Amino acid sequence: MTPTEKQSKLKCMRCGHEYTTSDDLIKVERACPKCRSNSVRRVGEKK
Amino acid sequence: MKDVGRHPRIKLMTLSEVEDVSGYVGNFNVKVRRKARYVREADCTACGECATVCPVNKYNEYEVGLATRNAIYIPFPQSIPSSYVINMADCLSKDVITCNKCVEKCQKRCIDFDMRDEIVELKVGAVVVATGMDVYDPTRLDEYGYTRFQNVVTSLELERLINAGGPTGGHLVRPGDTKAPKRIGFIQCVGSRSHNRGNPYCSNICCMVTIKNSLLIKEHYPDTEITVFYIDIRAFGKGFEDLYERSKREGVRYVRGLPEHIEEDPSTGSLRLKVENTTAGCIEEHELDMVVLAVGLEARKDGDKIRHLLSLSQTSDGFLAESHPKLMPVDAPTRGVFLAGCVESPKDIKDSVTQASAAAARAGVILSSDKIKLDAAIAVVDKEKCTFCELCVQVCPYSAISASKQNKIAAHVTEAMCAGCGSCAAECAFGAISLRHFEDAQYMAQIEAALAENPQDTAIVFACNWCSYAAADLTGTSRLQYPPNIRIIRTMCSARVNEKFVMQAFKLGAPVVLVSGCHLADCHYMAANRSTVKRMDRLWSRLERLGIRPERLQLEWMSAAEGQKFARVMAELDERRSKVTPEEIEQTRKALEAADKKKVA
Repeated sequence: MTPTEKQSKLKCMRCGHEYTTSDDLIKVERACPKCRSNSVRRVGEKK
Repeated sequence: MKDVGRHPRIKLMTLSEVEDVSGYVGNFNVKVRRKARYVREADCTACGECATVCPVNKYNEYEVGLATRNAIYIPFPQSIPSSYVINMADCLSKDVITCNKCVEKCQKRCIDFDMRDEIVELKVGAVVVATGMDVYDPTRLDEYGYTRFQNVVTSLELERLINAGGPTGGHLVRPGDTKAPKRIGFIQCVGSRSHNRGNPYCSNICCMVTIKNSLLIKEHYPDTEITVFYIDIRAFGKGFEDLYERSKREGVRYVRGLPEHIEEDPSTGSLRLKVENTTAGCIEEHELDMVVLAVGLEARKDGDKIRHLLSLSQTSDGFLAESHPKLMPVDAPTRGVFLAGCVESPKDIKDSVTQASAAAARAGVILSSDKIKLDAAIAVVDKEKCTFCELCVQVCPYSAISASKQNKIAAHVTEAMCAGCGSCAAECAFGAISLRHFEDAQYMAQIEAALAENPQDTAIVFACNWCSYAAADLTGTSRLQYPPNIRIIRTMCSARVNEKFVMQAFKLGAPVVLVSGCHLADCHYMAANRSTVKRMDRLWSRLERLGIRPERLQLEWMSAAEGQKFARVMAELDERRSKVTPEEIEQTRKALEAADKKKVA
């Protein structure tokens, strides 16, 4: 899935899982949907 | 209310709005707008003659629209001060005095159309925020037909309908045809406990409000059939279970299940609903004369204003966050500010009074002391090094730092406002701010000591004092096992972890580094850990640019209760550490040294 408007692309620094979300990345706690790790990094620019 | 109004040392300012708050604990300056009442409080005897001649009829807020009020009115019978007020937006004399009937009628001549709003400035030592809540608006959940059927009312409307001082004089009638309803249904959790519609939390009071109202109706109209549709009845207060049992004994029927929608018979105004009784395991159909929606409570829509004025934080449900849920339940994160009532969370009258008493006592502690003791760990500025960049001002969650790039004014920390999170010290690239007792040099020494021997076998963990470090403690006291080569470095907040601490750890040969802190909404320093989130994003990018695998830097949020999570995360961290080769560590060291040299050049 490619990030659409207001969506951000994230990558888990623990399991490598990549996903997109429309959550506010600063206010909402990031957690990898696959492994629940909080080591989730924003990759690419927010559109 | 009367006692408060008469108290010689309490100044009651009604019809007033706080416009600005500056200063700090013990020295707050509050600017209040006293709105024009257009009736002189001191002269008005609340005889009500003015209202009898007022030709305007408007929605009565107190009676939730079940009655009207005039443009000149008394907000509710027991209001303090006992004085009429003119809502100028409703008054016919808004722009040009065209009506003037109230002025002519008032024998005491207390109506004054020339009255204007005034700004009052107050100096106070402590502030108690008790701004209340809003009630959930059921028009957003219209399958129950609140906007379509007159005989569907909210619990607040029912309160007015059965109140002796209400628009019907306490006679319960249904709004559609003013007939006494014989079959009444209560639908619980309207706007509460739903992740899809309304709010996800329990509003705390609705179950007991319904039980109380059902008993009141049964007392006055014993023949009324009452059915309550619920998910769970939460009667957890003192004497509440007895009240619940009593209502069942009085004949109130409780059906476990919420109706999906309501239909009306237009000829009779009766309401039909279908519900799955999950206790009996069957579908039931009910025909009712009136349906009461037990609407939940939610944070005030205009709550952001007071939140910004006092630098307060809010929980995900929109209510204001207390400093600590167990140890400081009435203290706001800003020192000298206290919370009381539903502004903090939905609660009943008893809990509100308890909290208000506690808040008053806590405020009294401040007001009765000449000096206030502060924590020693507060930010200190080296003005020589300050470049006026204002970064510290931006990250301080307490607005304790002032600086001006434009006027070249160095950062200044108001000590009484600083809570000691250290976000500013971590953010300052010039080392101009340090946190007393948690200084950069102390952290660098700790990192060096932790990696002095066999750095390739060591994992560095930065743990915040309040949650992650407490989780580590819990892991120990619970006798949970985690690898012995983890070195924990305590910081007051995860936001105190400077980028250079992480880089220093990698430079000294740490295979992996973990930054951990409180869960995002539970930060002990309001929202300081949001700075951590931003910094981690920056650090991951920087590591990547330097050719260092960003996966070697990890981030985890854990609460003080998550000892098991701490043990699991440490085991996983050690596993990750074991996969970092000595060659990779050496390559990292060289890359960082080259970057340092480049920076110096």
